[in-house]
Amino acid sequence: MTMRLNTILAVATTFVLAAGVAHAQDDPKRGEKVFENCRACHAVDGRANEVGPGLHGVFGRRAGDRDDFRYSPALKRSGIIWTPQTLDSFIADPQKVVPANRMPYDGLPNARDRADLIMYMLQVFK
Amino acid sequence: MATKMKEVDVVIVGLGWTGGILAKELTEAGLKVVALERGGMRSTANDYSVPQVRDELRYVQRHDLMQNTAKDTLTIRNNPSQEALPMRRLGSFLPGEAVGGAGVHWSGHTWRWTDMEFKVRSLYEQRYGKNYIPADMTIQDWGITYAELEPYYDKFEYMAGVSGKAGNIRGRIQSGGNPFEAPRARDYPLPPLTTVLASHMFSEAAKNHGYHPFPRPSANASRAYTNPDGARFGACQYCGFCARFGCEANAKGSPHITVIPIAMRNPNFELRTHAWVTKVLKDASGKRVTGVSYTNVLNGEEFEQPAAIVLLCAYAINNVHLMLLSDIGQPYDPVSQQGVIGKNYCYQTGAGANLFFEGRNFNPFISAGGTNVSIDDFNLNWDFDRGNHGFVGGYTIGSGFNSALPIGYRPVPRGTPSWGKEWKAATAKWYQTAMNIGSSGSVMANRYNYYDLDPTYRNAFGQPLMRMTFDYTENENKMGRHAAEMVNDIAKSMNPTTFTPASVRTSWSVVPYQSTHNTGGTIMGTNPRNSAVNKYLQSWDCHNLFLIGANVFVHNASYNPTGPVGALAYWTADAIRNRYLKNPGPLVPA
Repeated sequence: MTMRLNTILAVATTFVLAAGVAHAQDDPKRGEKVFENCRACHAVDGRANEVGPGLHGVFGRRAGDRDDFRYSPALKRSGIIWTPQTLDSFIADPQKVVPANRMPYDGLPNARDRADLIMYMLQVFK
Repeated sequence: MATKMKEVDVVIVGLGWTGGILAKELTEAGLKVVALERGGMRSTANDYSVPQVRDELRYVQRHDLMQNTAKDTLTIRNNPSQEALPMRRLGSFLPGEAVGGAGVHWSGHTWRWTDMEFKVRSLYEQRYGKNYIPADMTIQDWGITYAELEPYYDKFEYMAGVSGKAGNIRGRIQSGGNPFEAPRARDYPLPPLTTVLASHMFSEAAKNHGYHPFPRPSANASRAYTNPDGARFGACQYCGFCARFGCEANAKGSPHITVIPIAMRNPNFELRTHAWVTKVLKDASGKRVTGVSYTNVLNGEEFEQPAAIVLLCAYAINNVHLMLLSDIGQPYDPVSQQGVIGKNYCYQTGAGANLFFEGRNFNPFISAGGTNVSIDDFNLNWDFDRGNHGFVGGYTIGSGFNSALPIGYRPVPRGTPSWGKEWKAATAKWYQTAMNIGSSGSVMANRYNYYDLDPTYRNAFGQPLMRMTFDYTENENKMGRHAAEMVNDIAKSMNPTTFTPASVRTSWSVVPYQSTHNTGGTIMGTNPRNSAVNKYLQSWDCHNLFLIGANVFVHNASYNPTGPVGALAYWTADAIRNRYLKNPGPLVPA
């Protein structure tokens, strides 16, 4: 368990440094506010599947890989590995990046909102 | 032989908006509450998520969320001289079924009805004299005031996530809102939804006529929202699958994402689904109710649920039906005009024009419950002199899309064949280029519009069907002609390529869908001779029985009913918590 956690932390840190999306100045507190856009469907603790899948451990995972959630074929086929970068482009305009995905959300156009959101998600869904 | 269950403090019949609100409020007050819902359990994750929810055939054509007419329906006629026949397929109105009720499949329009309704008789008599109101128009003051309900409207709007723009905050007119609305304590919890091209064009035309357009208030969250109870809403996606569908984004204010889950987490609450209540039980004195009988519709097993308080929170029609089946109160008789149960059934009317603009793209599939713009110049505007036109009541006019579904939405100009190659070409040509201007009008109560038990037809439980006798009267025809004229004036001024003008609906038919806004039957009032319940929706006959829903409306306004239905549910919850429990008995002396 500790091993896995460390690995994930290392992965997350790598993302922060390498991805060019998450920066030290990104504000997870603000990101928590931005996550209000997601909370109606994604559980805050990241564990349970609600209308949307639980997001715990999402970074580093392949899109659509939870066995206990019914994803759209489009998302499963997408081949996306979730990193801060891929999430950033997806969440900016989900239908553009993965046409026919089933998430009922039209996207977050503001780059700062996305950066803060991703910083928050890196902290709570690691 | 029915199985007798353990007595509880409260039994709720029907778990939609009103049942959900009462369940939450009364379990929080420490009462043991059992809710009996005739349909099943439903949730966004299991039932309303994409893609299965975007199924017009299933939900619109086949009424998947609605009452099953094979189990129970109504018989219908236009007037007492006709023989009523059973409505075997839903049409004009769509009572919901299952947890969440009609609160799942409504479009979200949330209006505040004002003293213009609650004091209807006094207002018209004062201004136009006693003879202005026709003798067979059985309207009366409701016995409640807007000022009393204002905090409860506010509570409902904040709970249900209503998006809108205030027009009058504490007497100060707000630009961009409805200048005719009654004063509110504060603005809506959320800003209005984005309007669409059709509503924008209508708005400009209405302004040019000197009218006062404003965005229609609607429980579609214009952005992510957490309500005062902690329930979370997503932002409306303008997906176009709103009315008659559950919301895939948890953006539509609905009981299954707000009040019901809170009640369900409370150990004082128990929900039994597939439980069809057949009768409210009275004690020997007839002055108290003792509980209800119900049938498990999955296996036919019969139960009795004793309770200290019974709350009828089913659909408005079913609440009245249960009163008649349970022989509580005196059934209304239109000949002698004695009795109150079944009295003052009302509906709504309307007239609409279709406008076609070659070369414009309206993108009608982008829509929500609240992408419309309305005017109230012929509704809440008391300066509009009805005396010149000889009618009582009013109508709203509005435009903007609620839905433009692939099967049902096929606007074509008048004269187009209704099938074949030409129709196909026309529907392809005009789908993008059509818009509608609609009016929704009030219906005043009439002596001969009422409910009673059908003498012939019975439901799956062997009980007489509800019989509905209804038609529009000269009052609605006068108003409808005026509405059609105003709609057509606005439409012409917009210079469409062609348009199908609005015309008055002179007689009511149960076949085409019109609106699920059935009101009255157990009306509220100031004394047991003129009403079934007092201002706290408490039965005059049995003080531990409350009837919550549009069945208590004394007449029907042009507005959608859910605003006052929700406000009255909170109002009644308060009356039970703060007054009735301390001293069970009539809250108003008879």
